Amino acid sequence: MGADIVTVSTDTQFVHLAWQKSEKELANVRYTMAADPTGNVSRMFGVYNEGNGLDLRGTFLINPEGTLLNMEMNFYNVGRNIDELMRKFKANIYVAKKTNEVCPSKWKDEGDKTLVNPGAKMVGKVHEALQGA
Amino acid sequence: MAETMTASVKLGQKVPDFEMVTYEPTKGDFGKFSMRDQIASKRWTILFFYPADFTFV
Repeated sequence: MGADIVTVSTDTQFVHLAWQKSEKELANVRYTMAADPTGNVSRMFGVYNEGNGLDLRGTFLINPEGTLLNMEMNFYNVGRNIDELMRKFKANIYVAKKTNEVCPSKWKDEGDKTLVNPGAKMVGKVHEALQGA
Repeated sequence: MAETMTASVKLGQKVPDFEMVTYEPTKGDFGKFSMRDQIASKRWTILFFYPADFTFV
């Protein structure tokens, strides 16, 4: 896919191993499972809950230069949408290549409508730009 | 209510270096993840935090 997916919880690597081997839903897992038992990395990203020692559902996209480009955080009872994560990932890769374009909210994949050179001429005219006028 | 600390990472800024011990399901072995290795090998990274193993993610 072009990105290294690393899942993180405050469990140890030993628990990650035991979970991956016992849970059949995880039989085909290929991503790295990282251990943050001290919570230090989780604190750095603001997802560590001091009240119970567990992480919130946070997702962070970091580019090859180490710059944080995207973050999303959900409370415990709502899961994340992998399609939206992939959309944001593709959009970030796209604008990294095409630095004079931006991806509007409905952009899903290469070939979809982007806004080119957003600037003074586009102020108040975003609708027309999106229509290709 | 969740008692979280304010994140020290900021959108659009470099993430400070850190490392974590890992379990690598493809190798069935333990390993190491670090931000500096990711930068050295020019890799995109998606960090996916969740509350606990043995629960839904």
